[in-house]
Amino acid sequence: MTTGATAAGFPEEQVRARARNGTAEAFPPAAGYGRAMFGAVPDPAAGPVDDLDAARLVPPVFMPRRLEKLIDLGREPEHTDVDLSTVVGGFRSALPVFLSAFGSTELGSRELGVAASTQAGQLGVPMVIGENMVPVHGFGGSPILARIEAYLDAVADGLGGVVVQQSTEDADSEVWNLVHSSPAAAPLLETGRLAFELKIGQGAKPGLGGMTVLDAAEATRLADRFSMHDVFGSGERLRCATPGTFTEEIVRQQIRFMRNNFPRAKVWVKFHPGRDIARAAEVAWAAGADSVTVDGAEGGTGWAPTAFLRHVGLPLAECLRRIGPPSGCLLVTGRMWEGSRVVRGLALGATAAGLGRAALLAVAEDPRAGLVRLAECLALEARLLISALGKYTATDLDPEDLWWPGTPAVERVPV
Amino acid sequence: MSHESPLAPLGEHLAARSTAAAMRVQQEALQAARDHLRAQGFQELLPPLIGPVTDPGGRGAKALDVDFYGHRYKLMTSAILYKQASLRGFGKLFYIAPNVRVEPAETAGTGRHLVEFHQIDVEVAGATRADAMALAEGLLTHVVDHMWRAVPDVLRELGRDRESFTELLAGPFDRITHTEAVERLVSVGHPQNPDGEIDWEGEEMLSHKAERPFFVTGYPKGSRGFYDREDPDRPGELRNFDLIAHGGFGELVSGSEREADYATIVTRMRESGENPAKYKWYLDTARDGIPASAGFGMGVERLVRFLTGLDALWQVSAYPKLPGVATP
Repeated sequence: MTTGATAAGFPEEQVRARARNGTAEAFPPAAGYGRAMFGAVPDPAAGPVDDLDAARLVPPVFMPRRLEKLIDLGREPEHTDVDLSTVVGGFRSALPVFLSAFGSTELGSRELGVAASTQAGQLGVPMVIGENMVPVHGFGGSPILARIEAYLDAVADGLGGVVVQQSTEDADSEVWNLVHSSPAAAPLLETGRLAFELKIGQGAKPGLGGMTVLDAAEATRLADRFSMHDVFGSGERLRCATPGTFTEEIVRQQIRFMRNNFPRAKVWVKFHPGRDIARAAEVAWAAGADSVTVDGAEGGTGWAPTAFLRHVGLPLAECLRRIGPPSGCLLVTGRMWEGSRVVRGLALGATAAGLGRAALLAVAEDPRAGLVRLAECLALEARLLISALGKYTATDLDPEDLWWPGTPAVERVPV
Repeated sequence: MSHESPLAPLGEHLAARSTAAAMRVQQEALQAARDHLRAQGFQELLPPLIGPVTDPGGRGAKALDVDFYGHRYKLMTSAILYKQASLRGFGKLFYIAPNVRVEPAETAGTGRHLVEFHQIDVEVAGATRADAMALAEGLLTHVVDHMWRAVPDVLRELGRDRESFTELLAGPFDRITHTEAVERLVSVGHPQNPDGEIDWEGEEMLSHKAERPFFVTGYPKGSRGFYDREDPDRPGELRNFDLIAHGGFGELVSGSEREADYATIVTRMRESGENPAKYKWYLDTARDGIPASAGFGMGVERLVRFLTGLDALWQVSAYPKLPGVATP
């Protein structure tokens, strides 16, 4: 029932929608769950999506590094001379990218996840397998083993690695232990290509745990493992995993526990874009983490309340500014899909960038080769951009390669 | 996964002369331990076998799940949580407790791991680490002394020599800190993580160098369970200890002062990556008040291996189960 009341200039429609639908309006439409991906909602009128996209890559005129490369090669360098191979969280990687976790969202967990695993293996880049799959599917029924096998079938010796996340609910199911003792993972462990990732947060909903939408039957089945909430006013339920409680000491000791209990596995840590991200990253590296991933507020394939998608968390560029020159391997995720954003992230200190939504879309477009083609295109762009900056390895990039509109020019030095 | 087994078929193993000798030694050792503890006022309890949670353990060892009327229960990896709770009624208690730990398959060859094993599990309300160490030292000394009185011929037939125990019986046992143990190993070119457990190989090296058993104290947080008390004067260090046998036989005992403060236990659970909600019954008990305590677990099979001098733990178990090896 609508009355004649109006409120010009006020978000009247949204208020009316909440008046009709209540808590369901705190979320994107539940009908899109499992097909749509989320992450920050850009405002098309606001120009660039975020500060990292606002930055321009600015090649200099004088390029002493190009001269070094010229001397090394004995000929003029080309973009094909850019070496993109790097070490990502203790793993050799053919490109400065890795496959991000998709989580237990319906979209990320099944055939597409296996297709993405095969292609990540073909590319020779590390792959992260997301949280909350074992409590949902059981270990045998979860896609973890199928994804590891698909990856191992495709990856070249000595390249890449597989990283398995564990949330608080996963810890109850002892996911790391299950993976660690699984014959399927033995080839990874024996070749130093297995890592476990302590997931502390995610960009799409900093401060919250994983969320998915379940139908009534599934909600009943999982009620003893997760909390379920009737927010949609329908039979569907919002399944919430807890975010877990962390202090400096908890992070430090959990990392030490991982190193103590699984000495042959690498330790990765993933943070949401918290305002204390610089301190958090320092604590993780000092405790022995092989890599720290920062998921910018732009990140996330998963389900999140719209208030979080729009208004919560630091943008990636601000996280990288706060961290400054990293004292360990730093990985970035959030809206990564093409070369220039990746290169800008590398210039701000990252070693590699994670492909999440882009990878899922790419394998959805072509399950056989979509991700490989996407990465090839990204790699070509990265080589062109890095060579244009007069550099020939990704590690040579630095913040000097970036300029933000409004930044004053550095003082001129007399010739 | 099933690895190639070094074990003889069970029937042959049970009929072997060395198994009979080991069981004779085990029986005497258990009797001696019971006598010693009971003489000091300890109450023996029979331990629980399953529960909603168990000791979370470490080093990649898993607990086995049991379907308990639709609830996921665990077989006890150790009954430490029950020991602490029992202090409310029994100030000095012990179990001879069977435990099951699904150890990583690669530990099958250490000679020191069995999936099914037993512990002489001791806890004392109001005790300090020093009290627990003294108790462990007294217990081991008493058992060794008893063995040489009760079954000297059995020990000699197994190739044991009383001389190997002279230093032990003379006491006192040596003590080094975890930091010193790490430094010793690093100084001989064996790298160690200062924030973690001493690895099996490192522990064996230290054990070989010793003339009598010795204590290692103050393991770092991050290497042991949430129930080992953190040293308030030395943050990051636990008020715990291991007792390592000489002659390469390695760890016989792990013990500690226990954490009894509810809020600290919850925090320590998070630090070890545990979900406190899982431990509801234990935390409810802790909230009501668990007495401060110290205690230890002495591995029965490890003790018998040390007494008999046999090479591997499976030789001193009647029904051995090696990690990764599917046997009856």
